[in-house]
Amino acid sequence: MSAAAAVNVENLTIAFGAFKAVDDISFCVEAGEIFGFLGANGAGKTTCIRAICGLLSPTAGKITVAGRNVADDLLAIKALVGYMSQRFTLYPDLTVRENIAFAGALRKMPARKILARAKELFRFTGFDYPQDTLVQNLPGGVKQEVALCASLLHDPAIIFLDEPTAGVSPAPRARFWNLIKQLSTAGKTVFVTTHYMDEAEQCGRVSLMQTGRIAALDTPQNLKTANFPHPLYEISPSTAAAPGFAAALAASGAGAVRPWGLRYHLEEQNADLWRKFSAERAGQFSQRRITPTLEDVFLKLVGGSAA
Amino acid sequence: MNFNAARALAIALKEMRHILRDPFTLALGLGLPLLLLLMFGFIIDLNYGDIGLKVQDQDHTRFSREFARTFSSSGYFRLEPFSSEIAPVSWLDSEKASGVLVIKENFGRYIKSGRQGGAQLLLDGADNSKTGVVLSYLAGIMDAANRKFAQTPPRNSPEIRTRFLFNQELNSRWFIVPALATVIIGLLGVLLTAMTVAREWENGSMELLLSTPVSPLEIVAGKLLPYFALSLTGTVTVYIAARLVFGVPFNGSQIVYWTACSVFITAALAQGLLISVVARQQRLAMQLSMISGLLPAFLLSGFIFPVESMPVFFRYFTMILSPRWFMEISRGVFLKGAGFMELIRPLSALLAINAVLITLAVKKFKTDIEP
Amino acid sequence: MKLNPAIMGFIKKELTQALRDPRLAALIFLVPIIQLTIFGLAISSEVKNIRLTVVSRPGDYLARRIEERAGASGWFSAVRIDSPAAQDYAALLREKRTEAVVAVPPEGLSRALERGDAKIQLLIDAANASRARQVEAYVKNVIALALADNSQAPPLPPVKLDLRVLYNPSLESAIFLVPGIMAMILCIITVIVTSMAIARERETGTFETLISAPVSTGEILAGKTVPYILLGLAEIPIIIAAAVTLFGVPLRGSLLQLAGAGFIFVSTTVMVGVLISTFAQNQQQAMMGGFIFLFPALLLSGVMFPVENIPEGWRLLAYLNPLMYFAKLLRNIMLKGGDWGVFWTNIGALCAIGATIAAISAARFKARLN
Repeated sequence: MSAAAAVNVENLTIAFGAFKAVDDISFCVEAGEIFGFLGANGAGKTTCIRAICGLLSPTAGKITVAGRNVADDLLAIKALVGYMSQRFTLYPDLTVRENIAFAGALRKMPARKILARAKELFRFTGFDYPQDTLVQNLPGGVKQEVALCASLLHDPAIIFLDEPTAGVSPAPRARFWNLIKQLSTAGKTVFVTTHYMDEAEQCGRVSLMQTGRIAALDTPQNLKTANFPHPLYEISPSTAAAPGFAAALAASGAGAVRPWGLRYHLEEQNADLWRKFSAERAGQFSQRRITPTLEDVFLKLVGGSAA
Repeated sequence: MNFNAARALAIALKEMRHILRDPFTLALGLGLPLLLLLMFGFIIDLNYGDIGLKVQDQDHTRFSREFARTFSSSGYFRLEPFSSEIAPVSWLDSEKASGVLVIKENFGRYIKSGRQGGAQLLLDGADNSKTGVVLSYLAGIMDAANRKFAQTPPRNSPEIRTRFLFNQELNSRWFIVPALATVIIGLLGVLLTAMTVAREWENGSMELLLSTPVSPLEIVAGKLLPYFALSLTGTVTVYIAARLVFGVPFNGSQIVYWTACSVFITAALAQGLLISVVARQQRLAMQLSMISGLLPAFLLSGFIFPVESMPVFFRYFTMILSPRWFMEISRGVFLKGAGFMELIRPLSALLAINAVLITLAVKKFKTDIEP
Repeated sequence: MKLNPAIMGFIKKELTQALRDPRLAALIFLVPIIQLTIFGLAISSEVKNIRLTVVSRPGDYLARRIEERAGASGWFSAVRIDSPAAQDYAALLREKRTEAVVAVPPEGLSRALERGDAKIQLLIDAANASRARQVEAYVKNVIALALADNSQAPPLPPVKLDLRVLYNPSLESAIFLVPGIMAMILCIITVIVTSMAIARERETGTFETLISAPVSTGEILAGKTVPYILLGLAEIPIIIAAAVTLFGVPLRGSLLQLAGAGFIFVSTTVMVGVLISTFAQNQQQAMMGGFIFLFPALLLSGVMFPVENIPEGWRLLAYLNPLMYFAKLLRNIMLKGGDWGVFWTNIGALCAIGATIAAISAARFKARLN
């Protein structure tokens, strides 16, 4: 943990009654990082973010944002932080202009500054709908852009995005991530949750949460090399394969087998047994060596399905 | 139009669970009837008594004292003497009394000499209901006072024997308590239904339901059934309280009452459904059901303010309001022992309104499935 | 003093949301007038339109005089004379074909009077007990008047009572009821709209965005109350104008008192709305909470029946009811010219209640999700 850390979380626990949504986690996010927060639904990601932003009070632990303790300097922190929540949180019955004006008013920005910033941000995000459109009449991806503008209005140093691209089609998603990268280049710290592995690859560091705890935290590359020191193969059973192929493969001791749609990923752990199996079952499958992805890492560490 | 009772029942069960888990709905659905019973049954008395009357006796004779006593012994007034420095009107301006009686000087002397003793009574007309009642008490009091002081007894006056039918002891609770069911159903049946269904429209779960093989009719039936049950429970509670706690007689036919009750509840639910389809939004649904359901049930149905006292236009207008008819049936059955034939008018009106509301609601619901 | 931009922003947003939907705007402004009109016109606790049936032998001229007197009095309608053929009077009453039956002696009232043993039977539908009592009084009055025509110059009654009904000499029900109904309508709207507005933010998730901004709890509370106080205040002149122009309710007191009373009352009810919203997680609960407050408040307000009718012990509840004080203030200001003693007493009570509720709401309202 460096002194310039944007966010520092120490032994954070958030419990709702007997249920621990976040169970004694500690990590820190450096200034200027794009920090990815991965995990299945219910793993505790949103709860953690909300606590960091001061929307929830922790049951135990300490959170520091930009050097300030969340428990003491809440208002000061909120002025430095931008938050885009998982639920869509603009007012659907207000226009884009009205929503932005309100967001600015809440932060006591003078009207002229709001207009200037809005113009800048709309250019930045490429938003080109008439500002008098009711938010409920905008397409989904565009709504997210407006929400992002609203959360960036006061030029925060640290930005929290909770599943900002959920339900958005690929092209706007890619555009959105370009924006995130630009923010990072400009020196902002971006803390983002996502279920999309291709997006996670673009983060500086990634943390995996599972049932309230952190299962792994490192750069995407490190995660891959650390978890997959051995070769990884993609196995596609052909029509000639007998039933029970997968079971046999798993039992062969050649390595760890994980289903992958209709195929399987084999993490080779015993080269000899693998050669033996390949020889025995030649013709029943095709194989190719692949580079591990974060999804492989995720499945290995967390188990269950990728989402 | 297919209708699978099992599916409707499944929806109904789900709705019931929602209701039972929501403390607010329970509080309103069960607590409110009890609250109303408590308030109207025990707390509020529609009979006026203990009316504050300030008295200034400028005469100080036994005649003036006797006159004042006529007021106090009637049991309706609470007399409080005051001195002559204070202007009588000020008592009324400052809301410290409902009436001021000033017995003038020479009251006794004039009466003894066969002339008229003077007195002035100022009444607070701002409180209209009270004033009307006071005036009616006044007639009896003045009559008694005049007889007391009269030299010659008046002749040739007939003896008038009054029989108060259906409510011999003029128990105001007998009037109000059976009527509570109407208000309760108006609230629960219309308001809750409208809000609940509007909520489903608002958050999109209605669309979801409609996309399933469940037919609209099954959805409607399933959603409304719990509120029917809730309203019925409320009515039964009122009935039990009325009979056992307040001793209101039930002189009519149970069949007539409960049939009418079911029809009325159905009408209320249909109204709630219609509102929810028209409003689609909770805020709107709430306002609409308040205007068209609650306030009419409370103020226009004859609950406290009699329909007979309304101007002609309203006496006809309230004919389209189902609470007005159920009120008549309710009181008719409890107090008057009215049978089916005697209640044929309100019963057919209720049925007609019910039919119209259901038709409108179902039609609008079906044609409006596309939002 | 620079106006807090956050609160100004709130005012703009809340009012835009409330008034943007034309249906909602209509409901907030138009409907109160409609309600006021309907209820002001329809409701009356006066006893009138009494259906009376006078039963006698045809040709009994005294009975006919009773019928004429009754018709002329203005209280009765549909007065009939039936021949005393076997009629089940109770059935008539049950079917609501008549409300009261006057049955004179079958051999003729005048003859019975001469004999000195005239007995008139009066049958009254007493389902509505208080109405029945008044009906009895009116009928007796009419009979007395009808018979008085008959005798020679009756002696003057010993007591000459100068009766004055103040503030409302014509005893128009509307004049009394309308201020009370105005207070009721204002109360309903402010409580429910406020509580639902706050609950809505929680329900749709926008509350989260709100508290993620650097606004203090006090600013959020102010932002969610001031717009609705303004809305409530805007309603007051509209309702009063309707009352004055449509019903001829006088406005004898000062506008200053009216404004002051209105402001304090609306602020109090808005705080009640906030308090309710702190218990509710969604709009529906907010609405129901509103009703759980409103029902007792309406009943214990002195609008439908006087507070004096409530037994001593329960009267305390009425004394905690802001609506009770406002209805009283409104009536006093509009009808009696606004006694300052009454004004300060009731305003004081309202302030005390409002401040307490505000304190509790502020303590309960958390700018947090948990």
